[in-house]
Amino acid sequence: MKIPFQQYWDLLATHIRPQARRFSMLTVLLLSSIGLQVINPQIMRYFIDTATSGGSGEALSLAAFAFIGIALVQQVVGVSAAYVGENVAWTATNALRAELARHCLQLDMTFHNDSSPGELIERIDGDVAELSNFFSQLVVRVLGNVLLILGIVMALFVEEWRLGLAFLAFAATTLLLLNAVRGIAIPHQKKLRESIADFFGFLEERLAGTEDIRSNGAVDFVLLGMYKLAYVVFGHMYNAWRLNLVVRAVAGLMLTLGISMAFAFGYYLLQGGVITLGTAYLIVYYTNLIRRPIREITQQVESMQNIGAATERLRELRAIESKLEDGPGAEMPTGALGLEVERLHFGYEVEEPVLKGLTFELKPGKALGLLGRTGSGKTTMARLVFRLYDPVSGSIRLGGTDLRTASLKQLRERVAIVTQDVQLFQASVRDNVTFFDRSKSDDRILAVIEDVGLREWYDALPYGLDTKLESGGRDLSAGQGQLLALARVFLRDPGLVILDEASSRLDPATEQLIERAVDKLLKGRTAVIIAHRLGTVNRTDEIMILGEGKIVEHGERNALANDPGSRFASLLKTGLEEVLV
Amino acid sequence: MSAKRGGPQREEIKRGLPAWVVIWKMIQYRPGIWLLNLLAMLIAYSFFQIPGLLMREFFNLISGDAQIGLNLWTIIALLFASEVGTLLGIYGLITTNVPFFIHTMTLLRKNLLKNILRRPGAAALPDSPGEAISRFRGDVFEIPLFSLWLNDILGLLAFSIVALVIMWNISPTITLLALAPFLVVGIVANLASRQIENYRRASRRATGIVVGFIGEFFGSVQAVKVASAEEGVIEYFNELNDERRVLSLKDRLFNEILHSIFRNAIHIGTGVILILAGQAMLDGSFTVGDFALFVYYLDFIGDLTAFSGLLVARYMQIGVSVERMYRLMEGAEDKALVEFSPVYMDGNFPEISHPEKNDKDRLRSLQVRDLAYRFPGSENGISGIDLEMEQGGFTVVTGRVGSGKTTLLRVLMGLLPRDNGEILWNGEPVPDPDDFFVQPRAAYTGQVPRLFSDSLRDNILMGLGRTDDSVRQAIHAAVMEKDLADLDKGLDTRVGPKGVKLSGGQIQRTAAARMFVRQAELMVFDDLSSALDVETERELWKRVFDRPNATCLVVSHRKMVLRRADHIIVMKDGRIEDEGKLDELLERSEEMQRIWHGDLVPREMRGQKTVV
Repeated sequence: MKIPFQQYWDLLATHIRPQARRFSMLTVLLLSSIGLQVINPQIMRYFIDTATSGGSGEALSLAAFAFIGIALVQQVVGVSAAYVGENVAWTATNALRAELARHCLQLDMTFHNDSSPGELIERIDGDVAELSNFFSQLVVRVLGNVLLILGIVMALFVEEWRLGLAFLAFAATTLLLLNAVRGIAIPHQKKLRESIADFFGFLEERLAGTEDIRSNGAVDFVLLGMYKLAYVVFGHMYNAWRLNLVVRAVAGLMLTLGISMAFAFGYYLLQGGVITLGTAYLIVYYTNLIRRPIREITQQVESMQNIGAATERLRELRAIESKLEDGPGAEMPTGALGLEVERLHFGYEVEEPVLKGLTFELKPGKALGLLGRTGSGKTTMARLVFRLYDPVSGSIRLGGTDLRTASLKQLRERVAIVTQDVQLFQASVRDNVTFFDRSKSDDRILAVIEDVGLREWYDALPYGLDTKLESGGRDLSAGQGQLLALARVFLRDPGLVILDEASSRLDPATEQLIERAVDKLLKGRTAVIIAHRLGTVNRTDEIMILGEGKIVEHGERNALANDPGSRFASLLKTGLEEVLV
Repeated sequence: MSAKRGGPQREEIKRGLPAWVVIWKMIQYRPGIWLLNLLAMLIAYSFFQIPGLLMREFFNLISGDAQIGLNLWTIIALLFASEVGTLLGIYGLITTNVPFFIHTMTLLRKNLLKNILRRPGAAALPDSPGEAISRFRGDVFEIPLFSLWLNDILGLLAFSIVALVIMWNISPTITLLALAPFLVVGIVANLASRQIENYRRASRRATGIVVGFIGEFFGSVQAVKVASAEEGVIEYFNELNDERRVLSLKDRLFNEILHSIFRNAIHIGTGVILILAGQAMLDGSFTVGDFALFVYYLDFIGDLTAFSGLLVARYMQIGVSVERMYRLMEGAEDKALVEFSPVYMDGNFPEISHPEKNDKDRLRSLQVRDLAYRFPGSENGISGIDLEMEQGGFTVVTGRVGSGKTTLLRVLMGLLPRDNGEILWNGEPVPDPDDFFVQPRAAYTGQVPRLFSDSLRDNILMGLGRTDDSVRQAIHAAVMEKDLADLDKGLDTRVGPKGVKLSGGQIQRTAAARMFVRQAELMVFDDLSSALDVETERELWKRVFDRPNATCLVVSHRKMVLRRADHIIVMKDGRIEDEGKLDELLERSEEMQRIWHGDLVPREMRGQKTVV
């Protein structure tokens, strides 16, 4: 397997192109640095020839100082080149990180259900970091080194054409050989990186669940899991590194060959009177100068193998397509949105249908209470309305528009959900309320915070909207988290709101605060309220009971409540029991 | 419980052991491998010596100054021989590097993980799990890297000493003066080291923040999607990335400049030789061969200064890494990071043993006296908690949100460290509740249980050795038998990260099954039923009550649970407001009445609730 230069370039090209100026600066710096490296040995030759032929001491000192001067300039140029190269690399790879993050965010939920955040960290940050290394190494070192070798070969041509030819052949063979062997470790590198990603995926998940591990006495179990994954990494690492020795051996032996050639040429050309002793030294010095580039290229070959694996994994990641095709786009009407569901069938796995042919309609501005046991398909229904998944067959229309016609953005701007899981970020309060949407004004945010009844909480914040929240919202109570989640929805002015048992974890007193906010929210909007308990559906106009993926009952709430034969009425009785017994 | 702190000042400095102790300990952990590595390094470097000598012979040969009398082809043959020797040394390096890396990294990660898991569960990590991963990944890696890098320096040092002896024998003056620039470098490096540490710490922290954020938004990807917040998230991600770029560039530039200064020492050294050797060459006391040898060796001595200059810098960077590791395990003893224990990298993994229940484990009574805990830096917490439970009892803790119910359970279970109070199990004090309240004595289910991307079976057992039959019984007790039947792979079904392939209710019941399978004496539920529907919850409680000898401590405000309680504790503002039987409490406690009726709910709505 070869280094996929083409693929590598495909990944980064679009992000490097905008930096054309920096890039050309880099080129100039690199070329100057190489020129200086090739010139300096010439001074040494002059020095040796002068010294061995009895020249003046003054000329020798002058040559010595010139040597030091050029060496210093060359270092400054080299550092600048490294800096500019690194900057280009960071800028480009950050853009690639963003591109990949965006891509992954847009992938459908089946992808996310299979990949843990730790795994994605390893891919988006770990693999891309490899690419970044490679770029600064590739341009600044490998390319620079190849150019240096070329410069040296040219200088040798100037001395003696046979010499130039021989070393051209030598350099070409060495580089071709290195190119030929560099791919051998890639399959192992790829497995190595995968096993590392598994390892950290495992760790990330465990670190997020320390309380469960501890209270279940499962520390040893988790450690055992870690040993096993580390052991897999061990095996792949061994194989990958051992194969790299081949590359190293090829480089070492070829270099020895090069020095031997320099010796032989120096010996015979000097004997034939074609060159001076100084030139013989120059030839050997140049050949030795090649040692460093070759050594560095060899080291880079090792990281090129890493990069080969990383590039492939990134390409694979980028090639994953969302199973949801974004719609062509269609304007959603403003105001409350009606919901029409027709012969809807859906299952996460083909053999396991979750929804079996639902048909119903919810008029704009009405509120529907969705009831059913766990696993009856309520939450799945909500996910489909958001188009997190597409129906297997049948259709959902919102405000008269089929979900698949509108773009995902248009759709999700007009629908909002409040779930029991409130997701907060380690970021400012502002970013947590706006969900990183910077177009919202502070006044608007404050108004919303006031609306949901968080004003008191807000006033206690030390830095106002800029106060950072802890990871996972550890410093908020469950109720405050819920209210913050509601604030997000308020800010977006949706036409349909889905409440997924939003208040289940709260005591009645806090629940009341939230109910007040929810009342405000539902005014003038269509709502679907998913409830496990009856208290939650008091404010609805209609009731729908799901059972095993089918509609068991659907009708106006009052009508159902008053019909003693209805399932809802009998449920109410169970509920009443809870109050009376 | 409000948010604190603005941002960057969060990483307080907390040093554990000094970095060199950590490195030394890791070398002691696998001294054999490390010494073999050193040996291979010395072999490789001694073969590096030979080309310099051959170079000298060659130039002496062609300039007519030869003393030994090797011919061209012998010189070339010896060159190849030394290269083969070098390769052997390198092979030795590779075969020792890998095990050293894996063994020591696994030990460090094990110790970190063990100590994180030993910390109070509710506050185990200083930042997000993703941020912690960046420490498990990068900072841990630095330690063996440095230990092996030491060998490189030692090899180079040995090489340089031999080289200097040879050079000294040729010309003491030139040798001394050529070395002068290298001394200057050592001083520069020391002056710069403090700055290096700062740059490194800043760029590392920026990396941690970026990685943490990736973890966060993928951890809540569904919320990001439904809020259509992808663009905003990416924009924020870009901001964090850019901060990191700027800091990393600074770090890198500084390193490059230092490195360049080190490299320059050799050029200046060579220049010095040129200045001095001119005269000596004119009078024939210094040959071109000697000159070639000097330049060849100076290159390596230059490497040595560059390395040892970097050594100081690198050591400072290691200091940052060590500190960051200690931050992850705050509260642990300093030596905990480097404690030796097996890592089983021979592939013979250990069996997990769980203690059998003995008579002492059997619960007869549980008493809690004057228990208190306050969240650091706040007024919130619990205090003056007294509790009495008998075998078979069913105690319910209730109260509004923020009244301290969950905190009470956590402090009792040792998931938060108590500030005061005593816990007595069968009359005997429990000094370390966190180690004590586990299977077979106690089991706990939190409000938001976590599952892991394993099979359903492993999620329930978590290493406990029980038959599938026991697992099925536990699943039945958790009212999940129907769900199990619907899963096509049964107990082998993989539940996905955080259990996403299961519904909220299924996750909660899996956690309940996890508790039941442990057959613990005391079962502690923190609002087990929040994602369950009425019928399922009722069935679940029925099955709990049917369990013989079950002693339960439950947080709930559900009426059906309160009604079954032998004893109810009403919490308010972190204290016990009242306790007793339901009827008495409804009679006399205003807080209880509020909780029971949801008194703050508007009247008309409450009316509806009672009417329907």
